[in-house]
Amino acid sequence: MTAGSPHPPPPSAGAPQGGEARVRVLSVLVEDGPNTLSKVSGVIRRRGFHVLSISVGPSPEPGRSRLTLQVDHGHAEADQVRKQLERLVEVVEVEDLTGHDLHSRELVVARVAASDLSELLQKGAKLLHSGEGGATVEFAGDGGEVGEFVDELKRHGVQDVVRSGPVVMRRTA
Amino acid sequence: MVLEALEREGVDLIFGYPGGANLPIYQRLPDHPKLKHILVRHEQGAAHMADGYARACGRPGVVFATSGPGALNLVTGLCTAYMDSVPMIAITGQVNSTQVGRDAFQESDVIGATSSVTKHSYLVTKIDQLPRVIHEAFHIATTGRPGPVLIDICKDVQMAEAENVPPERLQIPGYRLNGHIDLESARAAAVALAGAERPVVLAGHGVLLSHAEGALRELAEKAAAPVGTTLLGIGAFPVNHPLSLHMTGFMGTGWNLKAVQNADVLMMVGMRVDDRVTARLADFAPKVKTFIHIDIDGSEMGKNVRPHIELVADAKQALNAMLPHLPEPEKSRGTWLAQIDAWREEHPLRYTHSNGHLQPQDVLIDMYKRCRSEAIVVADVGQNQIWAALWWNYDRPGLFLNSGGSGTMGFALPAAIGAKFARPELPVWCVAGEGGFVMTAQELSVAVEHQLDVKIVLLNNFSLGMVRQFQDDFYGGVRSQVDLTHMPDFVKLAEAYGLPAVRVEKFADIAPAMDAAERTKGPFLIDFRIDPEANVYPIVPLGKSLNDFWEAPDK
Repeated sequence: MTAGSPHPPPPSAGAPQGGEARVRVLSVLVEDGPNTLSKVSGVIRRRGFHVLSISVGPSPEPGRSRLTLQVDHGHAEADQVRKQLERLVEVVEVEDLTGHDLHSRELVVARVAASDLSELLQKGAKLLHSGEGGATVEFAGDGGEVGEFVDELKRHGVQDVVRSGPVVMRRTA
Repeated sequence: MVLEALEREGVDLIFGYPGGANLPIYQRLPDHPKLKHILVRHEQGAAHMADGYARACGRPGVVFATSGPGALNLVTGLCTAYMDSVPMIAITGQVNSTQVGRDAFQESDVIGATSSVTKHSYLVTKIDQLPRVIHEAFHIATTGRPGPVLIDICKDVQMAEAENVPPERLQIPGYRLNGHIDLESARAAAVALAGAERPVVLAGHGVLLSHAEGALRELAEKAAAPVGTTLLGIGAFPVNHPLSLHMTGFMGTGWNLKAVQNADVLMMVGMRVDDRVTARLADFAPKVKTFIHIDIDGSEMGKNVRPHIELVADAKQALNAMLPHLPEPEKSRGTWLAQIDAWREEHPLRYTHSNGHLQPQDVLIDMYKRCRSEAIVVADVGQNQIWAALWWNYDRPGLFLNSGGSGTMGFALPAAIGAKFARPELPVWCVAGEGGFVMTAQELSVAVEHQLDVKIVLLNNFSLGMVRQFQDDFYGGVRSQVDLTHMPDFVKLAEAYGLPAVRVEKFADIAPAMDAAERTKGPFLIDFRIDPEANVYPIVPLGKSLNDFWEAPDK
């Protein structure tokens, strides 16, 4: 219902409330196949949603992958993202984890010019490689920690940085 | 192997067009005399024929097309079926699996191009996938909320041989059918509806797809609740029933819109509640305290209107689950029904008779008197569609077919041909404007070749009438690119295709022309030169609320 509607407030939209205003965090189990990713992204595009991050990896079940998505649901109701994804035959299961107590982990890999890496390593970075031109480090953490780490890199002459989207898991089963 | 699989699924009719990438299938076709193949003149025609076939008999329509342009020509037809939840199987040829991705001759990414207009699609690159895929495709197309499924088969797969046995049990973990009805919600819906002071029920295509007309009528009568239908829901509730509100939406009847806008409980069954139903969403049904939404597709809940009570279920099952819990209707109901009767008197359907021109409503009323609810009428898109929808009191389902969601001009003629193949025992009438008609007129060849009894009522106003009306009323009166002054002589065009035709310009000539059409075996075309200024009423101005509907001017 659009703003200014005269109707009484409707019941809960079904999906967990909370989190950022329009961003949903979804964990999606899909059947592997040549069309799966394009169908998932196609639904998100044509329903007016917007992908903020996506990570894909194999699931423990053979022939299936786990997608972790952060999606801005735009003008649609929040639970539309889950419902529209569930309509895809390639999609086995969708969990909307927005607002749940989650482990949310991102990975960043960076090449820096600095030779003194002690501060970075103290923060929990792992050294992958070091040589004459600088060093390559990796760091994992939640979104905030990774953001801070990327800021920290700037003080160490960062040359290149790549960052994954988050993968998430409920804190309690 | 494709053809054997189709026979196993009970297919007996295919609409198609051969080409480089599906020739291996066509090579085997003569070995399968039980599979009748209709050679269309354009692939879009095949898709609409399969669509009309499916709408008329409920079985999935089957289409063949070759790769590249052949498959892409299906897109509009697939979209038309997808938007209206029509079961269809499209089998397209694809280049050899080793050629995919190399921009081979007539290669295109058909899965990519059709993903948004199909319920599901498959690219088959290995022969051992094929039996399972075809079996699954029919299951998915015809169950739950029906829709088109596309199977793109590489040419080398078409030529391969393998054991052709589908799996005994289908395993599609990502395909969920909603078989469970929440009885608490059904009870709550029944209590809310019967307890309402001013209830309204709206019925959509889902009611027809689940054959829920009987349950709907029983429920409406028990609850003393008036029932309107969407454009695609026409036939779900008899228009001549005292509780009927006829068609809803932004070209719906005045008494329907008054009822919707004043209802306190609105139950929407088997429908999407799209913008053509709600007009300006913020002002849709503003007095409603309880929205009840029944639809088999859970994603429809809250997509446009957030219901207070939702039933994600097949319409018939949901209505039947409500029936035993329906209390006696609220005592004030008589007042509400009397109010609706007063609105019906106040806002009747009407049209101009006296300007000397042939009126489209006169043509349709004559046609419908002959149909007597025992013929299929297939309308095209535009003014002709709304006139055809409003000017007959449909009292049974499945007789009025049109492209509601997609609004595809050119739908009517091929869909009427498909409908005739599906229901040869029923007369089939095709109502179209001249603009839409010429978009697929080449399929006249198919009607003539198979001597199909399809009567074409051309409502010819020498313009794109609906667009012209919108320009006149909502776009500052600027008539831009709507004149169709240079069109073929339709009588000669018909003759060129080999079917008889007449032109009608006066009221007195309507009946004799219709008589001739009825007497003639095979297709017949009547070019009705109608009032070029005739408009569709009622109509809600674009962007306005349902309260603001305009009626036909008084003259």
